[in-house]
Amino acid sequence: MSLGARLGPARAAARRYLVVLVPLAGLCELGAHGYFARRAPSFAAWSVVDAPVRRLRQPGDLVVVAPRWAEPMARRVLGDELMPVADLARPDASRYSTALELSILGQRAPELAGWRELGRETVGKFELRRLENPQPLPVSFDFVDALGPERTSVLIGEQATPCPWADHAPVLAGGLGGHPTFPAHRFQCPLGEFFNVGVTVIADQDFLPRRCIWAHPPARGELRIRYRDVHLGEVIAGHGGMYWIIERELSGAPIQLTVRVDGDAVGEVVHQDGQGWASFELGLGAHARAPGAEVEFAVSSPDYRNRHFCFEAHTR
Amino acid sequence: MSDAKPVSSTMASSFGSSRWRRWLLELGQPQPSGWVDRGLALFIAFNYVLLLLLTVRDLGYARDEGFYFQAARSYQGWFEQLWRDPANAVRHADSAWRVNNEHPALVKSLFALSNLLLYKRWHLFAMEGTSFRFPAMVLSGLGIGLVYLWGARARGRLCGLVAALGLGFMPRFFFHAHLACFDAPVVTMWTLCAYCYWRALARGGWLWPIAVGVAFGLALDTKHNSWFLPVACGLHALLLELGPRLSRARRSASLLDTDYRLHARLRRRRSLAALGSMALLGPPVFYALWPWIWHDTVKRLTAYAKFHLEHVYYNMEFLGRNYWTPPMPRTYAFVMTAATVPAITLLLFAMGLWASRRSVLPTRSSAAPEPALEPARIPEPKPAPISEPVPGTALLWLLAMAVQYAAWLSPKTPIFGGTKHWMTAYPFLALFAGVGLCAAVTAAREVWSAASAVPRWLVALAGGPGLELGFAAAVLVAPVVETLHVHPWGLSSYSPLVGGAAGGATLGLNRGFWGYTTGSVTGYLDASARRGARVYVHDTAQPSWDMLYADGRLRRDIRAVGSVAGADYGLYHHEMHMQGQEYQNWLAFGTVRPDFIAGLDGVPVIWVYRQP
Repeated sequence: MSLGARLGPARAAARRYLVVLVPLAGLCELGAHGYFARRAPSFAAWSVVDAPVRRLRQPGDLVVVAPRWAEPMARRVLGDELMPVADLARPDASRYSTALELSILGQRAPELAGWRELGRETVGKFELRRLENPQPLPVSFDFVDALGPERTSVLIGEQATPCPWADHAPVLAGGLGGHPTFPAHRFQCPLGEFFNVGVTVIADQDFLPRRCIWAHPPARGELRIRYRDVHLGEVIAGHGGMYWIIERELSGAPIQLTVRVDGDAVGEVVHQDGQGWASFELGLGAHARAPGAEVEFAVSSPDYRNRHFCFEAHTR
Repeated sequence: MSDAKPVSSTMASSFGSSRWRRWLLELGQPQPSGWVDRGLALFIAFNYVLLLLLTVRDLGYARDEGFYFQAARSYQGWFEQLWRDPANAVRHADSAWRVNNEHPALVKSLFALSNLLLYKRWHLFAMEGTSFRFPAMVLSGLGIGLVYLWGARARGRLCGLVAALGLGFMPRFFFHAHLACFDAPVVTMWTLCAYCYWRALARGGWLWPIAVGVAFGLALDTKHNSWFLPVACGLHALLLELGPRLSRARRSASLLDTDYRLHARLRRRRSLAALGSMALLGPPVFYALWPWIWHDTVKRLTAYAKFHLEHVYYNMEFLGRNYWTPPMPRTYAFVMTAATVPAITLLLFAMGLWASRRSVLPTRSSAAPEPALEPARIPEPKPAPISEPVPGTALLWLLAMAVQYAAWLSPKTPIFGGTKHWMTAYPFLALFAGVGLCAAVTAAREVWSAASAVPRWLVALAGGPGLELGFAAAVLVAPVVETLHVHPWGLSSYSPLVGGAAGGATLGLNRGFWGYTTGSVTGYLDASARRGARVYVHDTAQPSWDMLYADGRLRRDIRAVGSVAGADYGLYHHEMHMQGQEYQNWLAFGTVRPDFIAGLDGVPVIWVYRQP
């Protein structure tokens, strides 16, 4: 008997029941719809994570939500105290020694891959994991945090015109498709509202938030942001970029960021459109570990139009 | 199965003679004519419009709707002038019709007339926005009815019913069917034109060829997708002509050339009449119904064409990446169809396509009238007259789909419109789904009623008239439940195939656009905002926001502003490329904590920041 003939009755039997699969598939989809519609926690259900997160989180822990789309609900419950803007709009996770991952749907935060698990807890549909960074890079001085009249001064243009600090400048935001928010606390230069130095948050090439110092170069000369009394580490490192919607056009001039320590140029970073949120690291040489140094960031561009440059820097 | 009793005789003996049973029996048969099907089509259309009206209140106004409200109001003034002083209105058409002249006028004219007559004059609607939306709803309902009619005529009532409801209960179609936009209306116009063309091929005379031309003109005046219609119909005519020639090697000896030549001649004449009518009647109808092109016609038509051919690329998220400039992903339309059309509809579509495979490409051996899909149950099926040529139904449905999807094979085709830009393919997808269900029912009846190894209850089921309805209910329940469940978050909805809304969000699929979800936070704003509060409205257009006032869905003292700076509330409609907007809120309000979140199945779509 051929294989086909032997399979014949089996095929016929299979065919008898195969047609049941059609209505069954419809009903299965209904079941699957019911399952998936309830799989993620409701907005109200997020309130249960408040107490365990507060209990598990240690000072300095970064709170990360996975998947990232669920973060607004976590922020709504945990608020600015547990999820401050500096953490949410971090340059990257390298500076954190530990993190608390709050996850749903079995998702994991990609940036915490490779971190060592210190403990985990399940609360309803939520999973909390405390993680340790195997190679943290602690920051000894953060220039973004330190921006302010106490130790910073800002000069702009060829004439080195001072930009005074304002505590109550009008908050400005570009609206749909516009520039990032210029906060009330900022150095406001006389050349126009875009020529200010303040801490803002831009969206990078992945539209992730990046907290940085807004530093639009002037038409001529440099924008200089000078810090006094900085205790330096071995390097000055950081990131620079622009709101991606501007940068992705690839039509702007390069931006030059020069870093000077006590008047000596220790390095220069050139940002080209398309690089996105790009990192840099400058060795300090003889200035390494200098106490009370003066550090200057000078920003310039051969064509200042649409150069919405924003950078973060730190020393370690 | 060769020793099984003929199914038809089994059925004939098991059914009574009641008219209801007879009607059920005929579910699977093509209905060449009859008022019953026209009545059923209208019944389906009426109920669909009713459902749209019952669910429209939940839906905020999409960005584009706001622009069309403005345009419709401008045209409304012109219509009033036309009534009072026709000559003057014709002379001074430009000023009114200049507004939103990048889109043709037909549907916006209907919005204008509906608002003028049904709302302002006869007060039929409680909400002004509904009066603008009503014509698109009616056209959507008629489209659903038309799909029923076509399915019923071509492949039987069951096919028509499943196709119509399969289309109507695609969550994305249901969403668009509510809107004062062109996307759902052009689905109807596209289908209408294709249907008229099909009828023109199946019947002689002048009525249907004229109808094709008029329908094409109406489609042209609805949306630019209609430019593809001549391609679909022309290719269809060409393949019908070439198909038998190409299959000469497989030529059937039993088919004598006399019949073939008769059919071919008839078909050729009818194809040419239909296509000629599209060419001759379509443009005049288009011209007559769009006053903007009455003057400077060539210049303005060129500008219209250029606007769409050189359309600016907007942003769209797909699989976690934001696309804003070519190359666009070629898989976009296919993946998004798979992710948003109910899986059972897709399964039935695949089955329908498989069941139709032999009739897609015409050969000489298929030059005889198209058979009903395995018409095994009816003692005396009603065949079409032998003198009628093949209308190439399956081929037409396939081409009508294919030309739509083909556009997305080009990496230059923008993807920002999501599924709506190829929604014109969905009626045909649904028709194949109807065929798929008919094939399943026929197969079930055959194998269950004749086989001894099948449980008795299955045999009984196969012998009864409820088999079709049972199968139809089983395959339609999920689409209906899904569609009603996801409303009003239609653009955030994803099928269980990708894990629902949460699965779509995790995969990095777009959660919405057009800023329409503001309609879902008006209750929160009304309840929490102080008097005169200012709200940054993000992606909601001002006319869309204003319509919420007009409808009484939003307190009039709550004002829209264009920046979070100085606002009391900031709305954020999530889109990947819009996230910078959210960060503007963080700095302006000094908090990252949203005060209110709304969305679908635990997935946030819109959230609101509040000045602490």
